[in-house]
Amino acid sequence: MNIQAMTAGSLLLLLAGCATDPAPTQQLRLADQTVEQARAVGATDDNQAMKLAIDKLAQARAQMANGNFKGARLNTEQAELDARLAEDQLLTAKGQEQIKALDARIQRLRKQLGDMQ
Amino acid sequence: MKQVTGMRMGLVLAAGLMTVGCSTQRANSEAVQRAETAFQAVRDDSSVLRSAPKDVIRAGESLARAERLSSYWGTGSDAQHYAYLSQRYSEIARERSEQMLNQQRLTKMQMDLQRLQLALRDSKLESVQQQGKWLEEQILALANVESDRGLVMTLGDVLFDTGEAQLKPQANRTILKLVQFLQLNPKRVVRIEGYTDNTGEKAFNLQLSTERAQSVADTLVDLGIDESRIQVQGYGDAYPVDANASERGRAQNRRVEIVFSNAKGEMALPRG
Repeated sequence: MNIQAMTAGSLLLLLAGCATDPAPTQQLRLADQTVEQARAVGATDDNQAMKLAIDKLAQARAQMANGNFKGARLNTEQAELDARLAEDQLLTAKGQEQIKALDARIQRLRKQLGDMQ
Repeated sequence: MKQVTGMRMGLVLAAGLMTVGCSTQRANSEAVQRAETAFQAVRDDSSVLRSAPKDVIRAGESLARAERLSSYWGTGSDAQHYAYLSQRYSEIARERSEQMLNQQRLTKMQMDLQRLQLALRDSKLESVQQQGKWLEEQILALANVESDRGLVMTLGDVLFDTGEAQLKPQANRTILKLVQFLQLNPKRVVRIEGYTDNTGEKAFNLQLSTERAQSVADTLVDLGIDESRIQVQGYGDAYPVDANASERGRAQNRRVEIVFSNAKGEMALPRG
């Protein structure tokens, strides 16, 4: 009896432990902002990381609604970094484009200068 | 029999569980290993460390967590999660470093561009000066230097029909050179003087000579020379350059002369 009660009690405690995984409301808001920021820089579904971020956020929302707070937290954390990576990939690409444009200008000037001499 | 079957089933089940355990364990360790490789690469890259130290630190922290969790039972999905985060932090750090390097390259290229622009401007200026010198030579070849009036260029009568003030198209090339010369020497001013031979009435000749000079002035203005740089004067049949007795002499006398100021804009006074 005693042992059974203890087992039941510890099981309850374990369950309680799971249940008290708090709702990741704050993290979700943060991840939302990160996705928005990436979108503002120009990230779209075409970017693999951006697509992952959007999908995981949607999944996290569904998990929140089902009370699966842990799953929601994991997806939210991953989505935030996915979106950050997407934003940084875009910024890198933009820098490379600027380099390309500037290089073209430099080549044109070099050619003009060569033509004049 | 029953017992044996039950045992067998139990064994199969246990074996199945073990395989599942092993395969998730393997998936974990693969994810952790990938994260580890990514982390080592960014940690050993000094430019990544410099441009994104925080992300490198977070990649390391998440990796340590993933490694710890992967050594426990039942925390496989957590281990994979932190391995994933670590890998992302490493990737973000690498992008940041890439951005910094791009920025440095851009700064250097901007400087190259400015240097080239300056060089190009200098060489253009030089070529304009060369062109100016060439034009000046051309104008000098068409002009004479007179002691009292300075540089004088004569447009002969072939450029006007008898009794007409309209400039003939043959004059265009000379006029264009004149325009370019004035554009390249913005301080120089000109006085355009018209002359005729002595046939016809004096009053008519005076008017015709003024109209011829004016027609040259108008063309210069049309081609962009400021009116304020041009004086117009008609002298009729005064100041002949040859005797009016022969046709050849009269042709010489029907002319428009362009008197140039010096490079500072100082010009000899009008005749008379």
